[in-house]
This record gives sequence, structure tokens and C-alpha cells, in this order.
Amino acid sequence: MKDTRFKISSIAILVILAALWLMPVYAMLNTSIKTQEEVANQEYLRFPRKFAIQNYLKAFKALKTGLINSAVITIPATFLCVFLGSMAGYFLTMFEFKPSQLIFFWIVVASFLPYQIVLIPITQLISSLRLLNTYAGLILIYVILNIPISTLITATFFMKMPVALQEAAALDGCKPFTFYIKILVPVSIPGLISAAILVFVQIYNEFLLAISLTRGPKIKPVMPILAELKGSQIAQWNIQMAGAVIVSLFPLAIFIFLSEYFISGMMAGYGKE
Amino acid sequence: MKYNKAYGFIFLTPVVLAVGIIYMMIFWNLVASLTQWQGMKATWQFAGLQNYFDLISLRRFWVNVKNNFLWLFFFIIPTTLLGFILAYLFTNLGRIEKVFRQFFLYPMALAFIVTGTLWSWMYDPSSGLINSLLRAVGFDTTRLGWIANPNGAIFCMIFSAFWQYVGFSLVIYLGAIRGLSYSMIEAANIDGAGHIRILFQIIFPNVGHGTLICTTMLAITTMKVFDLVWIMTGGGPGIKTEVLPYMMYRITYSQHNIGMGASTSIVILILAAAMVIPYSLWALKKWVRE
Repeated sequence: MKDTRFKISSIAILVILAALWLMPVYAMLNTSIKTQEEVANQEYLRFPRKFAIQNYLKAFKALKTGLINSAVITIPATFLCVFLGSMAGYFLTMFEFKPSQLIFFWIVVASFLPYQIVLIPITQLISSLRLLNTYAGLILIYVILNIPISTLITATFFMKMPVALQEAAALDGCKPFTFYIKILVPVSIPGLISAAILVFVQIYNEFLLAISLTRGPKIKPVMPILAELKGSQIAQWNIQMAGAVIVSLFPLAIFIFLSEYFISGMMAGYGKE
Repeated sequence: MKYNKAYGFIFLTPVVLAVGIIYMMIFWNLVASLTQWQGMKATWQFAGLQNYFDLISLRRFWVNVKNNFLWLFFFIIPTTLLGFILAYLFTNLGRIEKVFRQFFLYPMALAFIVTGTLWSWMYDPSSGLINSLLRAVGFDTTRLGWIANPNGAIFCMIFSAFWQYVGFSLVIYLGAIRGLSYSMIEAANIDGAGHIRILFQIIFPNVGHGTLICTTMLAITTMKVFDLVWIMTGGGPGIKTEVLPYMMYRITYSQHNIGMGASTSIVILILAAAMVIPYSLWALKKWVRE
């Protein structure tokens, strides 16, 4: 059968391509646990003869403060974005309000613009609030910039809620805020998780504002620190790769264990599905 | 029955504030781009369009514009096309589709800084993975500079972004193809149409919205590749891999020419708005119709 042949050949193509797509990360993991001598041999795909765990200790030592800073900034910023954004998403989808569409349009536009467009005013704003090089400054700016996308994602999920749910609640005398907290939030946990994942990964991976609004290592998030590791002389490829692995562990873990949420957040945020 | 709006303004206030601040900052930036502002202290001396004239008289600006267009062309088309073809091949996978999808999608979770670190090593001429593999099978790699090659560097960089984003277009097209009716493809199959014909003459015209989402989102991504340029080449060799968002940062923070930096960001705004606004209007229509 022609169909079977097509099926087999397409699976073969996919296997080869998947192997190619995985190879960089395989090589990265492999190199990250090799000793300097073995790295110098350049047989990057060969499994290491000796495990050099000290690479990870060295990289972790360099990245530790950055990781803590990233956690301190990203977690509250994500929480605020999802909380405030979902309230707006609730309003825009479930209230009778004429300008909703117009507001929604400006939210969509704002959520896609590159940060360079507002980089100078952001720096001015944060420095005039005396928040340069503080956690509060970065959290504030990340919340402002990510509320739109979180509104967008949560609104997409709320639209799928049956209107009857809200009607029934209203007839029972349920006030909007009670409805939001007691009914809407519990039934839309998957949507909120999706929004949280997207916003979290976006803030954690962000680089431009992280370098522009911090000075010195005290407050700096982990991405700029990883970038500095690349420029420094001490870092050989194996240490750099170990650093890249450490930094990626968290987003990759989210991707692997919560991939359905990751994808549905991505589709709702970027795909308008 | 829906709730009356009077209850709900408190729900809307935070997002309106945030979006309001964003647009006010854009406006502020527009004003700053019309001033002669140099150095750290604000000097609100009106200079008209002088910054823009200075900008377009720079050869560097046009190199950047050209590079941005190289990104648009060589990033969007291959990424969209491979994602589309992969999605079609995926229809044969049945239940293992979800596992396979992960192999292409996982780079989307990585930061550009991580992708850049990884691929800088892959492309390194003397100790990189690609050249070491080529040498192992007997190729002479002395002339393969990859990221160090002035003419090839930008394409190397674009390829690493392609590696990262193929999963995105795959997922978009998987959704779009799943929405098609099977009978349509089946009928073509019975008519004896080849796979390439089915793919491009029957499926492609029917997944237009997937293509629109994909190309627009990838286009917007090309305006955000600052991190990749920073980590992989710093804009070099020379200014061969510089793109507007990178130049904007350099003009603002290395040369402290705030007025000109602001005018560069307005150019970026115009380019980005040309993609974002039509797309948002389209998305909104789709949103309302549902």
C-alpha cells in the first residue's frame, strides 16, 4: 500500500529530524559533565569517561545570587500579573461594557510590542522613582509590561465559561467579587496556570530590562549573569554549558511536567486559538 | 443576564493603569526623539526631526535595516515552512504525536541567552561542535568560520533562532490541520493526488489563519532578537549582525545619545506596529465572532 509506505517514510524523517533537534542539548549536557582535558579532545558526542560534577559546583557558585534574585523578582511579579490580569479578563469577558472591545484592542497591541520602544522612558521612570537597581523596580516594570498578556490569556479561557454559570450565581445574589473568587477562579485553574507559566517563563528569560535596570551583581537576575559568564576568561565551554543547564532547569521542568498548560498558554497568548 | 458595569471598574483599573503607562511612555519616547538630548541629564531642547535625519544619513542604520529584513525573510519563511511540513508528517504518528511534539518544542522554553550560549559553542570555528564533527569525518574546516565569518554570521544566528522556533509553528499548524475535515484530504488521496500536491494545493490554502498567526508572531520575534545578538556576536564582525533593537541599545547606553536612541525606537515602533496592529484587528474580529 502506498499509504503505509508514506507512513513509514514520514516516521523515519521525523525520527532523524528529532535526533537533530535534540543533538545540541545532548551535546550540551554531555560537555557540561566533562573534565577540561576531555573537552579539549573535542569528541563532544562521546559519553564522558569521568564525571566532572565540579563544573556544576563552579557554575552554581557563579550563578547562585542571580538565581535567588530571579526567584525574588519573578515569583511575585508572576503572581501579581495573573491576579490583576485575570480580574481584568473577567471584567472584559463577563460584563456588559461597550468600550470593552476597544480596551481589549489596545491591550493586545501593548502585549506584542518589543521592549526597546519603551526602554528609555522605563529607565527614566524607574530612576525618578529611585528604584534603579532594586527588586521593587524590576517587579514593578515586569508587572506593567506583562499584565496585558496575562489579561489576554485569562480572557481567552473565561470566554469558554458558560454564561449560565454566572446567571445562576447572580440570581442567587452572588456579588461579582465573590463570583470571581469563589466560582470563577476555582473552575479556571487550568487557564490561570497556563497564564502563570507563560508570564513566568517570559520574565525569567528576559534580558534587556534585566541589564538596563541593574548595576552590579547584588540585584541582577540570572540571565545577565549567565551572559557575563560567557564573556569571562575563567569559563571554559564545560562550565558555560553547566551554567546554561542550571539556568534552564526550571523552565524545562515546567515544560516537561506541565507541557499541556505550557502549550495552551502559548496558543492562547500568541496563537489566538 | 450580565453584571452591571458599575460593579466592576475595580477589576479593570490595574490593567488600564498598566496599559495607560505603556502608551504614555511611548508618547514620552516620541517627544524625546524630537529633542537634542545627549548624556545622562535630560535636556528638553526641541530639535524637530533632526535626529531622524541624522539617523537615516548613517550607513550603520541602513545596514541594520537590511539585517532586519534578512531576519524577516530567512527566519520566517523556513520556520513556517518546516513547521507546516512537520505538522503534515505528524498526522501519521497517531498516539505518539504528543511525545514527538516535545522534541521540537522544548527549545521554546529556553531563553535566548541560553540558545545563544549553546549555539556560540556549536559555531565556534576552532573548538565548536559543528567543526569538530566535520573534522572527525575528514573535512577541511579551516575556511568554515560560521559565526566568525563576516558574511555568514547573520545566517548562523538566524539558524539558531530557527532551531528554537520551529516547534512553535509546528504547534500552530497541528492545531490548524486538525481543524480541517478529513474527507477533503481523503477525497484528494483517492483522486491520486501526490503528497506534495495535497500539502500545498489542498491543505495550505485552508490553513490561512495558521499561516497568519505564525508569520506575524515570528515577524514580531525578529524585533526581539536583541539578546541573541548580544550573546552571540555583540553585533560583529564589525556591524554585520547588528539589528535595530541592538543599535538602539548601543546608541542609548554606550554613546549616551538619548535623542537618537529614542528616534531609533520610534523606527522600531513603526515597523512593529505595521505588523501588530493589522494582526490585532484581525484577532479581535475573530474573538468577537466566537
